Amino acid sequence: MSDATSKRRFSPGTTIDDLKAYMGPFAARLGYKFNTDEDFVAMVLEGEIEVLDRDGDVYCPCRMRTGDPKEDLKIVCPCIPFYTDQFSAMSKCWCGLFIRTDVEDGSTLHGVIEAPDGPVDVRVAATGDLADGQGRVVAVGKRKLALFRVDGEFFCLENVCKHLWAPLGEGYLDGHFVMCPWHGWRYDVRTGTTDHPDADVRTFAVTVLGGEVFVRI
Amino acid sequence: MATKVYALSTCPYCKMARKYLEENSVSFDVVEVDMLTGSEREEAVSEVKRLSGGTSFPVIEVDGEVIVGFNKPKMQKLLHL
Ligand code: SF4
Repeated sequence: MSDATSKRRFSPGTTIDDLKAYMGPFAARLGYKFNTDEDFVAMVLEGEIEVLDRDGDVYCPCRMRTGDPKEDLKIVCPCIPFYTDQFSAMSKCWCGLFIRTDVEDGSTLHGVIEAPDGPVDVRVAATGDLADGQGRVVAVGKRKLALFRVDGEFFCLENVCKHLWAPLGEGYLDGHFVMCPWHGWRYDVRTGTTDHPDADVRTFAVTVLGGEVFVRI
Repeated sequence: MATKVYALSTCPYCKMARKYLEENSVSFDVVEVDMLTGSEREEAVSEVKRLSGGTSFPVIEVDGEVIVGFNKPKMQKLLHL
């Protein structure tokens, strides 16, 4: 690839510590931290440095590039944003370099790679992203959800008002009620109920762990 | 029993899976896909895709059964360890 050199973020001579310093804060914002098994982390990052020297960027050491630059961007480490559902379900990234912030001992996850069936908790925001009385639209894979914060507590609803499919996450909060931004239909963020007949919206369970907000889908 | 490991030279779980097989005296063939070139590589990649439906490693084939990732319980079961 001719443009690989100009786009590369790391120059030759990059060390494990350089990678750690760059990746740590990025992963933290997504609700992940380095595996607590330090030897393992060193092994993965050594692999990444080999890949960097050979292929020009820190592609995932455990996956193959397709050769399509756009596709391959999805496996530049840390690739967490592209696989939020899967990684959240496994509590770690594919290679195990990163584990969810709520996992205490990352070595217990080695080799456990099959995502369980059923609902998974997906990180959608940091607690500080929203002030009390604020809502926002968050994306989980292709799905959009409405997240609200009231008195330090978080609530999650489907992001569509049943009136004209307006984005509820952009509505105005009044206590525990959100007013649709388009025509003011009122929904209780705790229950998804509204006064209008047959117009209730789905709710999603929310958990807060270590300053991160997870939604169960 | 034929066991084949498709691996990347840089992948930690590939190393752990190979070590685990060695420790249990399982004989196996290894294909380090990233070390291949040209048509050999293409063939290996398409084989990995066919077996696993993706390009995540390791991919371990035990008598026609496929394990994606370093999945100890599944290896134990298929290899009767
Ligand atoms: S799976 Fe883990 S190690 Fe591999 S690119 Fe993604 S974040 Fe990095």
